[in-house]
Amino acid sequence: MNTLLAIRDLHVRYPLKTGLSALAGNRPSFVDVVHGVSLDINRGETVAIVGESGSGKTTLAMAVCGLAPVFRGEVRFDGRQLERERNNRLNPDRKRVALMFQDPVGSLSPRMTVRKILAEPFRIHRTGSSSPEQEARRLLSLVGLSEDFGDRYPHQLSGGQARRVGVARALALEPDLLIADEPTAGLDVSIQGEVLNLMSRLQQQMGLGIMIITHNLNVVRHIADRMAIMYLGRFVEQGDAQKIFSRPRHPYTEALLSANPSTDPDAGSGRIELSGEVPSLLRRPAGCEFNTRCPRAGDRCRVSFPGLAGDFGDQAYHCHFPLD
Amino acid sequence: MSQPVLKIRDLSVSYQTEAGPLQALRDVTFAVPAGKIIGIVGESGCGKSTLISTIIRLIAPNARIGKGSILFKGDDLLRMTSAEMRALRGDEISMVFQDPMTSLNPVRPIGRQMADVQHRDALSRREKNARSESMLGRVGIPDPAAQLTRYPHQLSGGMRQRVAIAMALMAEPSLLIADEPTTALDATLEVQIIHRLQELQRDFGCSILFISHHLGVIAELCDEVVVMYAGEVVESGPMRDVFLEPRHPYTRKLLECDPARIAEPTRDLPVIEGSLPNLVQLPDGCIFRERCPKTIERCGLQRPRLAGDGHQASCHLLDTAE
Ligand SMILES: Nc1ncnc2c1ncn2[C@@H]1O[C@H](COP(=O)(O)OP(=O)(O)OP(=O)(O)O)[C@@H](O)[C@H]1O
Ligand SMILES: Nc1ncnc2c1ncn2[C@@H]1O[C@H](COP(=O)(O)OP(=O)(O)OP(=O)(O)O)[C@@H](O)[C@H]1O
Ligand code: SF4
Ligand SMILES: [Mg+2]
Ligand SMILES: [Mg+2]
Repeated sequence: MNTLLAIRDLHVRYPLKTGLSALAGNRPSFVDVVHGVSLDINRGETVAIVGESGSGKTTLAMAVCGLAPVFRGEVRFDGRQLERERNNRLNPDRKRVALMFQDPVGSLSPRMTVRKILAEPFRIHRTGSSSPEQEARRLLSLVGLSEDFGDRYPHQLSGGQARRVGVARALALEPDLLIADEPTAGLDVSIQGEVLNLMSRLQQQMGLGIMIITHNLNVVRHIADRMAIMYLGRFVEQGDAQKIFSRPRHPYTEALLSANPSTDPDAGSGRIELSGEVPSLLRRPAGCEFNTRCPRAGDRCRVSFPGLAGDFGDQAYHCHFPLD
Repeated sequence: MSQPVLKIRDLSVSYQTEAGPLQALRDVTFAVPAGKIIGIVGESGCGKSTLISTIIRLIAPNARIGKGSILFKGDDLLRMTSAEMRALRGDEISMVFQDPMTSLNPVRPIGRQMADVQHRDALSRREKNARSESMLGRVGIPDPAAQLTRYPHQLSGGMRQRVAIAMALMAEPSLLIADEPTTALDATLEVQIIHRLQELQRDFGCSILFISHHLGVIAELCDEVVVMYAGEVVESGPMRDVFLEPRHPYTRKLLECDPARIAEPTRDLPVIEGSLPNLVQLPDGCIFRERCPKTIERCGLQRPRLAGDGHQASCHLLDTAE
């Protein structure tokens, strides 16, 4: 079995403050940000999570890394079930699971130099045969930064340089699973290529499993083996990336893929514009959660939630009226 | 043609570092015509954020502005007092920062912060909230009324970006400067934000200076493009000209690296070999020389100047071709 990460029916629930304004609006006292997600990531495989901004992608990543509360469901890493600790947080082995945060500058401590930041994991975990400083130097060159960047503080870096330091730190301990939240946002296309090529190379060398969260569909098309499309806390479709790109079955997937802005000034758009109300987590629509904006929605969609159709290992989706 | 809203000429900025002054911008010259949307693209670390922080004068303590001028509606911003600059920001010039937390206060609810930016308007608290709500709706935030009571950390990355955009739009500025405002937005929302910006531009005739690494967004949104490399403008001109007939070798390379243009999926994406030159010890000649596939002898000796009419580029090959 080479399943590295197995997520089953995961729910993340946050309590809501019930202030006066909240009471007036008759709001619930909690919000389910991740609402029943199942996903497998194999060794040596890249799985991309795409989807609407605010749909719960970062929260899913944080939950797997023990940084967000798990309300229901289970996560297995390398065959072993992760226990729920205090505050309902999971407790993964931090040497084997690395997380790259979405916010590059905010996730680097402002009072440490880049060299210190990169040497830190080696000090804590005492691994590697060379000194932490040597390791820091090696990591810098790995992400294409010259040695003098070691003396800088995070605020003295450009946005893309800070992102690269984040990449280097995540790869420091040669994890088995890398969870990368928007790893190439803010990078120019050349450095983006370098970072992605680096991730692919390490994947080949070490069998690294990668979960990449990104809005960049061009990136997904090139590097993902499988992909999952998230909408309002659920995966509306998931499966083989090539298959989904060439033949999306869920109407949201189709709309999302069609929106990708093109660099060819003469390209016709062929874009599917979504109208209708963007649903709120606080008031999940009944039935299919996409029905408020779906161009194909019928009566059934407003009352019953569509079960999983298709093949979970290949291409599966939740929709009453899937595309052909 | 109408008078440009912003006209930058020969601007040079450096950062003091232990190794010596790091020359982040050198002789940057371009203009933002009234009612136009100008995109800036370029390598990470080429000075885009430095440029706009200099325009609005929110610069790092170790930054030094050398020579040059920044004319905004005819007045040189570099000669204004800090008080004058403060008055201009948030009124005539609004800004969306690369990191949305730069403009958001972590310990204040979103609604309060959005009311704060309306301090000049004689509206009641309720009216201000209504305006904030409608603006949040326009940038695609679900359930805007409920969001007003939330704190920034309770929002997703893309929601924070949209709140920052909504706040900048509320000021109805004559110049909007946006530094990678859509990195955390999915494609559908990105398109929606592009439409909002175009609307703003149409309705109020404002000008927009837009920085992005997403070449597709630039192609869709902008009238003109400025391409920067290692602190210099290497090419500028109408968007179509630059994208369809790039003149500078860097621009060509950049466009070739765009994964959107590569049809067959690959794990070996093209990159521009080499790295940015050391900005503390600048090489002689052309700044792109070490990575350029087409150098001639002059490239190592002499710095090329921006040349051309409308569509400009700084490359020695262009002189020899003519
Ligand atoms: N600490 C929290 N308390 C309450 N709600 C939260 C909290 N953190 C996130 N949320 C809510 O959870 C939802 C999902 O957020 P998340 O950051 O996971 O989205 P995302 O898919 O990563 O979006 P983006 O693409 O914009 O980064 C949002 O509606 C957000 O407001
Ligand atoms: N406070 C500082 N001290 C020293 N060097 C700095 C400082 N701020 C930025 N730099 C350097 O100046 C150069 C320009 O940085 P800037 O942030 O303007 O780049 P950018 O074009 O915005 O890049 P990105 O696309 O990655 O955001 C970079 O090489 C950066 O490392
Ligand atoms: S189930 Fe109905 S509303 Fe939902 S995506 Fe399918 S057609 Fe649209
Ligand atoms: Mg996120
Ligand atoms: Mg920047």
